Amino acid sequence: MAAEISDRVREIAEARGLPESEVFEQALERGLEDLWEDIVLARYLDDELDREEAIDRVGRTKVERAEREREVVEEDVDWGLNA
Amino acid sequence: MTLAAVSDTGPLIHLAEIDSLELLSTFDTLLVPETVYEEVEAGGVPDGLADLSYELVEAEESQLGSEELDAGERAAIAVAEDRGVVLLTDDLAAREAASAAGIEVHGSIGIIALGYGRGLLDRDEAVSRMRALQRETSLFVTEAVVERGIRMLDER
Repeated sequence: MAAEISDRVREIAEARGLPESEVFEQALERGLEDLWEDIVLARYLDDELDREEAIDRVGRTKVERAEREREVVEEDVDWGLNA
Repeated sequence: MTLAAVSDTGPLIHLAEIDSLELLSTFDTLLVPETVYEEVEAGGVPDGLADLSYELVEAEESQLGSEELDAGERAAIAVAEDRGVVLLTDDLAAREAASAAGIEVHGSIGIIALGYGRGLLDRDEAVSRMRALQRETSLFVTEAVVERGIRMLDER
């Protein structure tokens, strides 16, 4: 995995004409953004954050998508446990 | 209770990606439209599919939600409508179109829950496969939503 990461960083740096340190910085920013969105959506789905605040933080599209997914997963798990 | 279902491409691929195709053996009857099989075949037939008992079926393509659905999804919906069986899909648009037409629809997470509910998987294995479905497959589902599903298993 470590070798694969190094190879990818090198390839991205070459393709974009950036130093590898900047590729790492961008990767960290993107990763943090994903983790942040996960936390916001988890708090919203657990009723620890209201809907408007969740929309302010991650956008309406992601909140609405999470709501549709929640409905689907709840239906599926309920069915699977009782079928 | 006897369970019969028709699958579109999504669950076959996503369950194969986490080595869980055997969970489809929970269904007494599993139908796979030829169009769906061709879509799966185009990406390489996954290990485990040959060990699964299923019936390849010819299908007309349903007109439900036809603009946004692919040929495999339309074929699977047509079979579900025609034979009155459960539709297995991980596509939200296919699910919504089929549900609106009164078809019972479930996806890969439901299949894992079914495996747990029927004793094929213990709790830890079911949880591990749900997380793998979210982290290791091409299925897009929000992590927090999967964790909510896992809590439902624990509340059983």
